[in-house]
Amino acid sequence: MRRTFLGGVHMNEHKNTAKSPIETITPPEYVAIPMQQHIGAPCKPLVNIGDTVLIGQKIGDNPTALSCPIHSSISGTVERMEKRLTTNGSFVEYIVIKNDYKGAVSSELAPHTILLGDTSSEKIIQKVREAGVVGMGGASFPTYAKIQSAIGKASVIIINCAECEPYLTINHRLMLEHPEEIINGTKILMRAAKIKKAIIAIEDNKLDAAEKIADNITDHSLIDVEVFKTKYPQGDERQLIYALSGIELKQGQLPADVGFVIFNAESCAVIYNAFTTGMPLVSKLITVDGECMKSPKNLSVPIGISFKDIIDFCGGLTHNCDRIITGGPMMGVAQWDLNSVAIKATGAILALPALTETEPHCIRCGRCVRACQMHLLPALLAQYASINDFDMCKELNIMSCVECGCCTYICPGKVPIVQHIRNAKQELRARQALKK
Amino acid sequence: MNLLKVSSSPHIRQRDTTRSIMTDVVIALCPALFWSIYVFGWRSLTLTILAVGSAVGFEYLFQYITKRTITAGDMSAVVTGMLIAFNMPVTAPLWLPVIGSAFAIIIVKQLFGGIGKNIVNPALAARVFLLSWSNIMMAFVQPMTSISPISVTVSSETIDVISTATPLATLKTGMLDQSLLLEKFYGFIPGCIGEISVLMLLLGFIYLLIRKVITPHITMSFILTLAGFTFLYGYLTGNASPFEYMLHHLLSGGLFLGAIFMATDYTTSPFSPSGKIIFGIGCGLLTALIRIFGGYPEGVSFAILIMNSFIWYLDKWTRPRVFGGNPEKAEKKG
Repeated sequence: MRRTFLGGVHMNEHKNTAKSPIETITPPEYVAIPMQQHIGAPCKPLVNIGDTVLIGQKIGDNPTALSCPIHSSISGTVERMEKRLTTNGSFVEYIVIKNDYKGAVSSELAPHTILLGDTSSEKIIQKVREAGVVGMGGASFPTYAKIQSAIGKASVIIINCAECEPYLTINHRLMLEHPEEIINGTKILMRAAKIKKAIIAIEDNKLDAAEKIADNITDHSLIDVEVFKTKYPQGDERQLIYALSGIELKQGQLPADVGFVIFNAESCAVIYNAFTTGMPLVSKLITVDGECMKSPKNLSVPIGISFKDIIDFCGGLTHNCDRIITGGPMMGVAQWDLNSVAIKATGAILALPALTETEPHCIRCGRCVRACQMHLLPALLAQYASINDFDMCKELNIMSCVECGCCTYICPGKVPIVQHIRNAKQELRARQALKK
Repeated sequence: MNLLKVSSSPHIRQRDTTRSIMTDVVIALCPALFWSIYVFGWRSLTLTILAVGSAVGFEYLFQYITKRTITAGDMSAVVTGMLIAFNMPVTAPLWLPVIGSAFAIIIVKQLFGGIGKNIVNPALAARVFLLSWSNIMMAFVQPMTSISPISVTVSSETIDVISTATPLATLKTGMLDQSLLLEKFYGFIPGCIGEISVLMLLLGFIYLLIRKVITPHITMSFILTLAGFTFLYGYLTGNASPFEYMLHHLLSGGLFLGAIFMATDYTTSPFSPSGKIIFGIGCGLLTALIRIFGGYPEGVSFAILIMNSFIWYLDKWTRPRVFGGNPEKAEKKG
């Protein structure tokens, strides 16, 4: 029996681009690079309007706080800086760079020439920070800080290649095309976090990739591949740990508290490239798909490129396109504007048709209860949340909800359960803040 | 600026709808309907069509008059209508299913807020309501009796002549007819339109399980509890063959119709697997108690209706353990 967890849903996978090799997009005329692409303090710009910048040149940093440097993804001139509204409702400073199409690379970048075995953990962590690496599964926690927090606590690294969201195939392609980048990046992370064991976690709908990775591993006692049953949300870190070890993370606990630390496949590849070529995180791998995208592709795009440029490169949208989603269809965020840009956390751009509108109604079928990975009662939560009975929501452990979307996906009555739950959680958080 | 539509995630939905689920239930009920047409003639189809038509019609009318969103097309009223017809004898006058549907849809379902809000199963409540016409509801006939499919009433003379006791009523007197067991299983006995053939109902059950419309918890715990209780009762009261006594109880009356199609009704059954099992055990025990000690030969309907009223508590008592443990409790300990 393949490793798996309780709850979750089997869904139509829509892995349409699984056979599309990663292409590099034509460089855009402009990129707009936000100064906050990570959890933590925003970066302060290190360049001024009119400055010439090169690929890989650091253009933003904030050395005093938990932050992560940001680099230019093209060569050109800084045309302007402006505040823009992001999808989470905050204003962030953007540096807009006009491309000079010279593709000049910063001269400060140099490969790491010392043997890995002779490089100290501190040195690697410093290098990972300078490369601007953040978690690319969506949360964007700075990777260097994650390594630091894992030292001495975690004993196993999990490389998350589950890629359980429908449509997304970019990690699958990365594993097939550059298995050595993932494996060598894992080795660097093991050295940095002083951990002797790593597990590469892959769902069983990507057995070709699992085989490819396994073939490239030289010592299976150090790094090994684990195959999991294909079920959403296997890629959730709680469920990865549960499926591997049977340990359930308590609310508020981090993976490191139970001996695990989890990194994303692409982070490994970026770290490896930063060591071999010196190039920091300036381009992002994304899947561009959805029923309304004319020619779906897997792409490597410069950070800061607008969605419009990416969509144009993919043949544009069909006329029935209703929403543009960044990220997977289950937990991604709908964009209101094609001027949105690809950032470090962008894993996919999906163009989706409209959902059929029906009057939402709960028939108490209990499918959401069976699908809930946190073993909550989503149907009741949605009901209590919709009548503003937040105390009852709290009693039913609403704060444990991770908003994976299974309940809403599976609901035959088409109740927007997660939306109700989000409202209630927000209200409860606000009350908590008032108490303090 | 090119403005797009925004919405809360998840951005995709699976295909199943209330309508598709209800359609599956209708399909699962069809074998029993076909069988009843074979055994009792076309009048069973007439009664079913009338019940279904009026159930959908009353739902539409109610929603139209009260200016609500019309959901009469979601097939749930079709299921209710079919179950109402299945619970009456083929000799019922043609106005009976219409009254049953009116009661089920308007009073039990819509007045409580429509689909998903009713506190008891509408079809069962209607059946119990119709039992006030007890002479009509108990006028069973032998299989293959020819009855007009369209005459409004079946003349009482005919009924009196052919009226016969159901096996369950015989069972209450303590007599067992051994040759009947197999006939009971495939359904060649007097009884309500939809309840006679255990075989046909089981076909529907298997279909519902395959289509994942229901889980087996309620049905199995209901049937197994009744089996255990009647076997024990037969054994303790010195019945010559407690096993056969048990089989007669299982194959008689509306047990399979109730356990497969009524007790598993989403709206009136608990969420969690353990809740469902307790619910089924409760139904089984009450059925056995009513059948053996009550004044009425059949207990399935009353048992389910009584258990329906416990759902809120069952849901509360059987709340699943949150992944990682209950955070509130952990806080208190810490």
